[in-house]
Amino acid sequence: MNIVHNKNNLIFLLCSIGLIVLPHFRNLPAAISAFFYLLLGWRFIGIWKQNWLPGKPGIFLLSVCGLALLYSQYQGMLGRDAGTRLFIAALALKLFEIRSERDLYLITYLAFIVAASQFLYEQSLLMAAYILFVCCVLLATLISINSNKPQTGAALKTAFTIIVQALPMAVVLFILFPRIEAPRWMLFNERHQAKSGLSDSMEPGSITSLGMSDELVFRVKFTGALPPPAQRYWRGPVLSRTDGKHWTQAANMEFRQLDKPVFKGLSYQYTLLMEPQDKKWVFALDMPAEYSLPLSRNANYQLITSAYPDKRVEYKITSYTQYNTGYITHAEYEDATQLPGKPSGKIKQLVSQLHGFDGTPDIFIKNLLNHFRTQNFHYTLTPPLMEEDPIESFLFKTRYGFCSHYAAAFVYLMRTAHIPARVVTGYQGGELNKIGGFLEIRQADAHAWAEVWLKNRGWTRVDSTAAVAPERVERNINMERFVSGNAFSLAPTSNTAQEVFNWLKQARQLWGNVDYNWQRWVINYDNRNQARFLSSLGIPDIKTMIYWMIVITALLTLVLSWFLLHQKQKNTDRALRIYNRFCKKISNRGLLRGSGEGAKDFAERIKIKFPESKGDIDQITEIFIKLHYGKNATSDDLKALSKYVALFKM
Amino acid sequence: MQNDIRDLLYSANRIILGKPYKIRLALCCLLARGHLLIEDIPGVGKTTLAHTLAKLLGLNYQRIQFTSDILPADILGTSVFDAKNHEFKFHPGPIFNQMVLADEINRATPKAQSALLEAMEEQHVTIEGVTYPLPNPFFVIATQNPSHQIGTFPLPESQLDRFLMRIELGYPDHEAERQLLKGQNRHKLIQSLEVKLPSDHLLSMQQSVTEVYVSNALLDYCQAIISFTRTSPDYHYGLSPRAGLALLNAAKAWAFMDQRDAVLPEDIQAVLAAVAGHRLRSGDNDSEAIVAPILAKVAVL
Repeated sequence: MNIVHNKNNLIFLLCSIGLIVLPHFRNLPAAISAFFYLLLGWRFIGIWKQNWLPGKPGIFLLSVCGLALLYSQYQGMLGRDAGTRLFIAALALKLFEIRSERDLYLITYLAFIVAASQFLYEQSLLMAAYILFVCCVLLATLISINSNKPQTGAALKTAFTIIVQALPMAVVLFILFPRIEAPRWMLFNERHQAKSGLSDSMEPGSITSLGMSDELVFRVKFTGALPPPAQRYWRGPVLSRTDGKHWTQAANMEFRQLDKPVFKGLSYQYTLLMEPQDKKWVFALDMPAEYSLPLSRNANYQLITSAYPDKRVEYKITSYTQYNTGYITHAEYEDATQLPGKPSGKIKQLVSQLHGFDGTPDIFIKNLLNHFRTQNFHYTLTPPLMEEDPIESFLFKTRYGFCSHYAAAFVYLMRTAHIPARVVTGYQGGELNKIGGFLEIRQADAHAWAEVWLKNRGWTRVDSTAAVAPERVERNINMERFVSGNAFSLAPTSNTAQEVFNWLKQARQLWGNVDYNWQRWVINYDNRNQARFLSSLGIPDIKTMIYWMIVITALLTLVLSWFLLHQKQKNTDRALRIYNRFCKKISNRGLLRGSGEGAKDFAERIKIKFPESKGDIDQITEIFIKLHYGKNATSDDLKALSKYVALFKM
Repeated sequence: MQNDIRDLLYSANRIILGKPYKIRLALCCLLARGHLLIEDIPGVGKTTLAHTLAKLLGLNYQRIQFTSDILPADILGTSVFDAKNHEFKFHPGPIFNQMVLADEINRATPKAQSALLEAMEEQHVTIEGVTYPLPNPFFVIATQNPSHQIGTFPLPESQLDRFLMRIELGYPDHEAERQLLKGQNRHKLIQSLEVKLPSDHLLSMQQSVTEVYVSNALLDYCQAIISFTRTSPDYHYGLSPRAGLALLNAAKAWAFMDQRDAVLPEDIQAVLAAVAGHRLRSGDNDSEAIVAPILAKVAVL
């Protein structure tokens, strides 16, 4: 049957193309997806109803439609999105032009390109597995086009075998092939993935419900010991300016960049893998001591990256949880004691009641925390709205709030007592992935705390939320459930439910671990990592690496060919090997034994050409025949053959 | 013993000129206990060859001329009423001879053909419930006109398989033809031939042929040939297991005639065209061309 009209082949091809475009659904405008799948469906029906397919004018019209659609959606032909859409539209149109075998190949190759273009959008492990599967189906299509008896199962099996065989080569290429950093304007950005996490300002009074997403922000793997949970503060932007409701960062952040705090206690070394972000903040463990480019530190001890934050990047950082920042600068003092107007009488009264004006800062802090703890303050994620005078209404009326409320109120009261204080935002805690041994910090771990400047101790962290809800800090329970859930309990009652719960948790951690390693070792293997890895192998530059690649490819080829040759030789005995040596000697003189030529015939032929060696040829042939085909051959014959062949000269 | 073979071949070559290889194949077929099919146009010496061999081997010989109206009874024999003893007496037909020449076998109807071929296979004849064994040695040489000639019933593949070998004699070359034209009457020459290989010798030789050694290396080659015919697009169907056995038996006989106690790939190659040709493509009578791809493509070592 004609390959082009073989129904099986066509069905297979169309199905695999449908599978390939499927994940593009999320990136494509609906109109183009609809265009593609409509045409695919039409072509599918066309397998049985040949005359329903459009003729040449029809295809031309469809092409014009497709181009118009592309133009209307993108208004151009350059860039990742436009390119992918162009390919997909072209693939759909090409389906109507299957006239010869060549067209089938063309479509298959186009489909491979479309499959690969998916990696410009998403590079997760699951997507990689899916694309590999799709490639397997496409390969199977190619195989069934090429075989005269198309059998889906057998073709898939062959395709699978081919892919498995290709994997070692792919690994070598992955490690060694020069990795080219694509220009920014080109394809490889993950901007759509960049997530806005923390903002650079806060206004606790205007929020009535704090959404807590489960989304990953960064992952941290410590080389040594982990800091205790109560010390896991991941430092973000520092907010020191306020107008009473709104808190923002100070304008001047250039000072203090060069001085170093005095670090004490244990050091923690870790690698921090940031998920794509839209801000350049890197949330280091409070307080970062050692870091390398592209990281730098601003005046508030917050790490900033100069690289593009919308890529997943890994940083190596060393932090100390105990530190002394020493002096306070004039600008810092200005910012950290700034208040919008005069505090109200009520607040002043509270401060003096807690010995803010007459006691030492230590006593005031202790009293204030105690005040939070004992005066019926509550932690909630759904606080009431506090539009007017948020701090006053929080302190004296509502007494319900989340970390930002507590931090803001704390700082405000500190400043009323003329103690420099500021709000620090960032993340707190993080879930330990027991399988991978790393911490996962999610958006739900976002936190705000206060920092006061104390004489001889420098900037000191005070977490006022901990006074109200110590669980938030110490045990790192998902607050949403903890706070609002009276019906929900973390410990399921029945044993099976417990088991299922544990199992689910373990599965999630396992997957988290696999994903973390995939991100670290595969996706993040860029040119810098490659250079680092290769130089650890003693390969300093690309030139050497290309040599290495050639050497490895040659070695692989050699090993494979040796294997193939050896496999053939395994079936034959030693006599044959010796006889082949004899044939080799003769072939040096221009006489080659045909593969269908027996030893006896060959001997007759070469005796005509070399009558002077007649005796030797006869002897060797006779012993070889005896060894190979006779029944009473001895090891002496083998030795004799070996000897004669070695002595044989022409 | 080997001298007998050489003498026999020498004498035969004097009668049928310029065909030593074909004569050798015919004798090889005999030693391997197979039957021989000679396919050629009339007058190239098919009958002469059969007659010569019978004479040289001292076998009693009968010729059956197949025609379109021949009946099975004409071949196998029939029971005739004996008036003297008042009973039916079996009169054996021409098949009860050590060497039978079935001339122009494809002129007969399929019914008559199959009567002969069944007897060849079974080595006995059953008529009216009584089984009569055929003599030993028993050797059938059938001749066949090329099937495109008028008035022929070509033998089907299943019947062709009964013949160990199919050979073509072909025209003699220029030199042989000249000698033939100059020489004596072939009939008289045949009459003057002496027995070179008596049947008890022949039987013991047939036994010796089965004892020729076959090594694993040779079996590899043999199987490679068989599987090649089954997978190669050159052939519509491959060699059957029976054909494989036939090939090996013929090769053993060839090795024996060459005074060797082990089979070589060359032996297989020598008999391959004759043994496999008609089994691979029955319509085509150029056996050498049929097996050429095998000889070229299947590796010997």
